[in-house]
Amino acid sequence: MNLVLRLAWRNLWRQPRRTWLTTGAMVFANVLLVFMISLQFGMYRLMIENSLQAFTGHMQVQARGYIDDKKMRQSVPDIVPLANELREELGSGAVAARATAFALASSEERSYGIAVFGVEPQFEPRVSNIPGLIGEGRYLESNDAAELVIGAVLARNLKVGVGDEVTLLGSGRDGSFAAVVANVVGIFDSGVAELDRTIAEMPLGLFQDVFYMHGSGHQVVVNAPRLGQVAEYRQRVAALLPEDEDLVVHDWDALLPGLKQAIQADISSAVFMYAVLVVLVAFSVLNTQLMSVLERTHEFGIVLALGLKPGRLGRLVMLETALMGLMGLFIGALIGGALTGWLGVQGFTMPGMDEMGAKFNLPSRLHPQVTFASLLSGPAVVFLFSLLASVYPALRLRRLQPVEAMRAA
Amino acid sequence: MNTLRILVLLAWRNLWRNHRRTLIMLGAVVVGVWAMIFMTALTMGMVNDMIEDSISVLPGHVQVHHPDYLDDPNIANLLPMPDDEIEATFAPAGFRAWATRIKVPAVVSSERESRGVTLLGIDPQREEPMSFVDYDAVDGRFLEGPEDDGLVIGHKLADTLETELGKRVVLMSQDPDNDIADRGFRVVGLFSADVEAYEEQYVFAGKGTLQELLGVGDRVTSIVVLGDDYRNVEPVYEKVRALVDGGVTVSRWTELDSYLGTMLRVMDGFVLVWVIVIFLALSFGLVNTLVMAVFERVREIGLMLALGMKPSSILGQIVIESMMLLVIGLAIGNLLAWATIKPLEGGIDISVVAEGMAMMGAASVLYPQLRLEDVILANTVVLILGFFASLSPAWRASRLQPVEAITKVN
Amino acid sequence: MTAVRCVDLCKTYRQGDQEIKALDHLSMEVEEGGFVCLSSPSGGGKTTLLNAIGGLDRPDSGEVYIAGERIDNLSKGDLAELRLHSIGFVFQAFNLIPVLSARENVEFVMQVQGVPAAERHGKSTEVLEEVGLQGLEERLPSEMSGGQQQRVAVARAIVSGPALVLADEPTANLDSKTADGLIDLFQHLNDHHGTTFIIATHDERVMAYAKRLVRMLDGRIVEEIEQNAA
Repeated sequence: MNLVLRLAWRNLWRQPRRTWLTTGAMVFANVLLVFMISLQFGMYRLMIENSLQAFTGHMQVQARGYIDDKKMRQSVPDIVPLANELREELGSGAVAARATAFALASSEERSYGIAVFGVEPQFEPRVSNIPGLIGEGRYLESNDAAELVIGAVLARNLKVGVGDEVTLLGSGRDGSFAAVVANVVGIFDSGVAELDRTIAEMPLGLFQDVFYMHGSGHQVVVNAPRLGQVAEYRQRVAALLPEDEDLVVHDWDALLPGLKQAIQADISSAVFMYAVLVVLVAFSVLNTQLMSVLERTHEFGIVLALGLKPGRLGRLVMLETALMGLMGLFIGALIGGALTGWLGVQGFTMPGMDEMGAKFNLPSRLHPQVTFASLLSGPAVVFLFSLLASVYPALRLRRLQPVEAMRAA
Repeated sequence: MNTLRILVLLAWRNLWRNHRRTLIMLGAVVVGVWAMIFMTALTMGMVNDMIEDSISVLPGHVQVHHPDYLDDPNIANLLPMPDDEIEATFAPAGFRAWATRIKVPAVVSSERESRGVTLLGIDPQREEPMSFVDYDAVDGRFLEGPEDDGLVIGHKLADTLETELGKRVVLMSQDPDNDIADRGFRVVGLFSADVEAYEEQYVFAGKGTLQELLGVGDRVTSIVVLGDDYRNVEPVYEKVRALVDGGVTVSRWTELDSYLGTMLRVMDGFVLVWVIVIFLALSFGLVNTLVMAVFERVREIGLMLALGMKPSSILGQIVIESMMLLVIGLAIGNLLAWATIKPLEGGIDISVVAEGMAMMGAASVLYPQLRLEDVILANTVVLILGFFASLSPAWRASRLQPVEAITKVN
Repeated sequence: MTAVRCVDLCKTYRQGDQEIKALDHLSMEVEEGGFVCLSSPSGGGKTTLLNAIGGLDRPDSGEVYIAGERIDNLSKGDLAELRLHSIGFVFQAFNLIPVLSARENVEFVMQVQGVPAAERHGKSTEVLEEVGLQGLEERLPSEMSGGQQQRVAVARAIVSGPALVLADEPTANLDSKTADGLIDLFQHLNDHHGTTFIIATHDERVMAYAKRLVRMLDGRIVEEIEQNAA
């Protein structure tokens, strides 16, 4: 085996330029793949985390059907005790109850239709970023004070600041008229236009009073410690739900269907591009190995005449390809990893990223992280296809006849 | 001239000397060129749809507002000039389409539910060429004129409000004195839109009806103008600017939807990068092929030099050979791309990721767009870069010394 | 008039750490219409001398004159021009461009010279007939025997009517009958056209035809024999 290995290696270096050019193609593709895959993985994770952290949370307990119809009367009964129980059983404070309604918000000068949320002030910060993004004033404190926290764009549109009053008019759960005057105690700036423009938060206790909720609400948001544990926690929460009520747990994929799909669409187009790259490299390898085999016909003929089996020759060619492939893999992964790592520290930005990023909750500077998977998955595929490409030249060798071969130039 | 002919002859015959190698390289070029054009068509198709969508919602390529309106889209920020004055200046200007409208936030209430919406008071005939609503496909009917007192809402909104055609809803909005103006409207039409969110967001009423409801007399909030080419907005922009006084803001669509404006630029850049990346992947193979070919022909190159051929002719020969390969590959690749895109022009159904596309602002059917500019770009890049890629092996071939070359033993 | 004059040529090669004197203060003159054979054992310097005369290789020192003009100090471009117009070459092997037919190979030099197509065609037909290859004009080298290939090479070498033809081991790969035929051809051309021939060879049959036989050893002339006087 050792001899064959040495032979294969030396054969590669008979034509150094050709070997380097073919390896170069692999390295080029690998560097690109490592960088792009690292970038993508990191980007997707960030997109998901940021989107969920903003407001949605990892999963929510809701009444069945609420997710589609969003009617006030599709509520979760005794929502605060339920939230307490979940907190106790899960041993986690990252559980928060909410209720929501559409309302007309009026200031002295302006009126706008918005979505009002009743939240639990001590627990909401555990499931949403908004409390932490208060730019002016403070977040909600007590559970029943007539206080309001609104988004920066809404504040601007209503022409109000901290300390001003806002009147909310809407319909209660039973359809009756609901109204309240509340003080703006804080203004948040999340950077997400939707949230900053259409959301106001008030204490859950106040909300339940004003909107005649009779102790019910609409969502219990639950966050798992890590994104990877969402499925596990979802099962646990589902098991803890009271049997006689018609409640369900939705994970973020159901709550934000667009998110996963946007990622899937992006992955598909990326995979298409990667596939093209891999195919082009495979062509290069095919060409090289085929030429390399054809020009050695004469000497292969001699070797066969001396008694070596054609199968062994085929394996020799595949071994040569494998060695070249390994070179391409290591060098490509090395350079790709180094480049990506450096950009991971420096941060990577392209013109236009601030605006495109904002739409997807991404910062304008990305820091791609190299993981084991992102480092090796691309180069591994390139290696595999290179090996596949050399199957044809290897097969041709099996049909070689010694005498014929030796007559070749 | 004679020399050129023999060079071309030699280049062509040498190209086919090694069938397999040339065909494999050709195959790679065809795949690469196909991928360049195909991907570009898909991408530009998506971007084009997104932009045309946005333009049909804005609507138009250029808009005119009160300077404070864009930050504060309130009825208080009306355009200073009255409607008939605008009509007098804009009508003769010869725009492809233009209209004045009122666009303000409002609340729509049915018996059961209320929702915040964007209320549009329009002149339906003027807006038809620019609108995202297909008037003919509206359930019931669309508005018939600016004085129409019916309301047209989206299907999704009707579902959310639990209302239907023929029923009444109450529209509430702010008037310029900060009072609430409200009135009952009959729902006369239900429209559908590619992006479901539009069905929930937009509500159409007659411009005149709204002007009366809000007590604004003959005033409007916006002028919207449509040009011919969304990529070339400057002429329309300048023309509109010339027609209005200083007290208003004229905006291009790229400013009004900066996300898409940026995306257009980014995608144009992306196309170029993609083409170059593919070419670079190809170039390794191309140079390799040429290097191998030259290597095999060292003796006859030496012979030609010995016989008195100039080194520049040797260089020319190799370059011509390479360019021939690329031209054939381009021809086939272009043809293949056209053949695969043409049948898909009816649209590729990607409703599997419909909501994701909606999040990005795209529809769930993808229409590839094959643009001449993109095809020319791809071909030009391949030819120019291919030329440079072939220079190195060609240069080395021309530097061969006749004596060494002839006496070279493999 | 002297066709070729070499004065005190020296050329040394390095192979590993060995120094090989290919030409060692060699001087020689060949008159117009001469038919000279250079012979030496392998590596004796005959190919080097031929290359120096043909302007393919520059001697380390000494002078080379063709038809009275000094050529060893010409630029590469001028040397190429010289080879194109004034000297015909026949090499031992790989004389032909594989992708061109016999006719095209013969016309190659003329085409580079800029000769119009009709004239080229006429001349190539004539000369291919002269070397006995009529009917085979459109064949590719791969479709011809070794002897036929060499004949095409000769045809190419003489078609533009050069004054001097240099041949390096032209019969090395040929069987005796074909070799004889080739040398007959050379003689014919020498007799009828007055072309000067300098042939490097260690083939006895070829040496027998020469008018002057020059024996070389280690880069020097060791013997010159006049024979076969016309």
